[in-house]
Amino acid sequence: MIQTASVSALLQVALPNAVRPAVVAVGILYFAVVLGISVWAARRTRTARDFFVAGKGIGLVALTVASVSVSVSGFAFIGGPGFIYAVGLGAMYIVLPAAVTNVMGAWVLAKRMRLLGEARSLITIPDAIGVRYRSRAAQGLSAVAILVGIVGYMATNALAMGVVINSIFGVGLGWGIWIGMGVTLAYSASGGILAGIYNDVFQGTLMALASVLVFIFVLQFGGGLGEISRTILAHDPAFLGPWGKLTPLAALSFFFVFSMGSLGQPQAVHKYYMLRDPLQLKWYPLLKTLGLVLVLLLYFSVGVGVKAFVLSGRLAPLASPDQATPALLLSVTPIILAALVFSGVAAATMSAANSFINIGAAVVTHDLPVAFGRRVKNELRWGRTVTVLIAIAAAITAQRSGTMVAFLGIFGWGLFASTLVPALAVGLNWQGATRAGAMASIATGLIVTLALETVAYWKVFTFPAGVTASAVAMVSSFLVFFVVSWLTRRNAPTEIDPDVRLVMEL
Amino acid sequence: MGDATRSTALVALFIGIAAIAGGYAAAFISGGTPVWAAWLLALGIRVSLAAIMILGAARGRRGIGPLKLPFAFVALVLVIGFGAALALPATEGPLSTLWLGLPARAAIVIYGVGLLPIVVLPIAYALTFETQTLSAEDVERVRALARENQAAIESGATEPMDNQRRG
Repeated sequence: MIQTASVSALLQVALPNAVRPAVVAVGILYFAVVLGISVWAARRTRTARDFFVAGKGIGLVALTVASVSVSVSGFAFIGGPGFIYAVGLGAMYIVLPAAVTNVMGAWVLAKRMRLLGEARSLITIPDAIGVRYRSRAAQGLSAVAILVGIVGYMATNALAMGVVINSIFGVGLGWGIWIGMGVTLAYSASGGILAGIYNDVFQGTLMALASVLVFIFVLQFGGGLGEISRTILAHDPAFLGPWGKLTPLAALSFFFVFSMGSLGQPQAVHKYYMLRDPLQLKWYPLLKTLGLVLVLLLYFSVGVGVKAFVLSGRLAPLASPDQATPALLLSVTPIILAALVFSGVAAATMSAANSFINIGAAVVTHDLPVAFGRRVKNELRWGRTVTVLIAIAAAITAQRSGTMVAFLGIFGWGLFASTLVPALAVGLNWQGATRAGAMASIATGLIVTLALETVAYWKVFTFPAGVTASAVAMVSSFLVFFVVSWLTRRNAPTEIDPDVRLVMEL
Repeated sequence: MGDATRSTALVALFIGIAAIAGGYAAAFISGGTPVWAAWLLALGIRVSLAAIMILGAARGRRGIGPLKLPFAFVALVLVIGFGAALALPATEGPLSTLWLGLPARAAIVIYGVGLLPIVVLPIAYALTFETQTLSAEDVERVRALARENQAAIESGATEPMDNQRRG
């Protein structure tokens, strides 16, 4: 859903000739910095632990900026503002949970995962599930769920990168996909997560800068938020209602899926392993929340601002809501700001792609072999090899499968949420949770998400307004987790190792 | 006390999720989604988010200690925010009074639900970090146990578990 909206908007973007040189120059500069960071990181990557969790760890500020960078995608820059333009403030319920999700993640997961990393040298999310329930099968099942979600995310990110690069350089969509994936692959395969983290730092900074500048520009151009609101209220008051044009159930549904669901997003949760000193977690939620607020300023300001500008005739009516950001950038903002935002979109997609490539490679080279009681002898070499294969598979899928890419992109967030939140987030905080409960919950999340998204996508069944497959799957997964754990509660005390129990009790 | 806090949080989490399930189930009733479905969802979200945060923050016999106040504040913010949005009449129009640039109901949601928790929760987390979340002694206890396990494995007294083989 998220990436697909961004892609459809950018597919329609053709940069005017006057703008192209500046955008291309900033684009080239952007790629040069990414490659420079990658070469530096490749020289520091020597072991599998370096490759998957950045060896001895990352400092607080770098990890925070990197985490902000992977937490938002191109959706925050393109699809999100378009969604606000279409449905009003109801679209804000996707980002409002950011006020609580980071600190919630810190209380529920960060400490325990970081300490499990300390006790067992864990490197993946399925690792944590495996040691919590002393179960290779649970580790393998969660690995399969993550891999299925990554297939969708990777294909849509590959397509999004292709579209952005085509918009900047005019090389065609096919070449755009391969160039974007090639650059991402170069730093993913050579420098692993270390290159990813420091590129994320650069990319996150770029995104925050672009977002703040656009926010200031929109407020100035519109005469302040009050004037913008007055213009909208005169023409379309429902737009600024608390639910916008959504039903309350739909808006609240977004809030539920994007708040509780944040506890199961591997690209963010995985970062907890990487903090150099566990005691630095103290400031992590505050810094990350502030960073997210900065990056999301564009989401709100462009969505609301463009609506007012179109209503007042200062901007031409949009061909589609997803054109909100491109139309603003190409019509009224200074060229350099447009160039920055285009690079910001490229940064967002590359950052997400790198993170998912790395997590996918860890699943294939580490978690799945462990599930079958085997170990890969040279995890670093195999990690690099699988990284290349995942990137190529994603690029081919993006190029060849047409509408299937849109389908794959729909369910990533919901699939991670429904398969991982109960078993991981609740399981690490409840000693009564059992292996059977965890496996039943993961399987339920996987099956219900795939089944409901498939019937919804092919229009076999239409959900009532406000009900989404992701939400139903997450609720089902939770209930199954509680019920099966309760039914098998006799097994719970024997399923936790002493060091894991200590981590859960602290 | 600590176990009681966690047990209560677990029961609350289950009730919150069940309320959300009830809200969704109501949407399938023929004749349209009843008004109370949204109220049930708002209640369930509020309860389940607070419950899972308390479950994560509860610490042995201390429970959630001084975090009671910030948690209560945020629960109140969510109650008022969602409650006002659901209960107040839609009066938005060209002559509406604006609060920080937005009509009242939107301002309550955007500034209340979206911004107020930022001012309270991460600060409370940082201020109570050593006493409530993690201290240097906690980290050392985990490291000491890890060293003991490693020594037992190296001496052959214990079989390595899957995640203890990696160097």
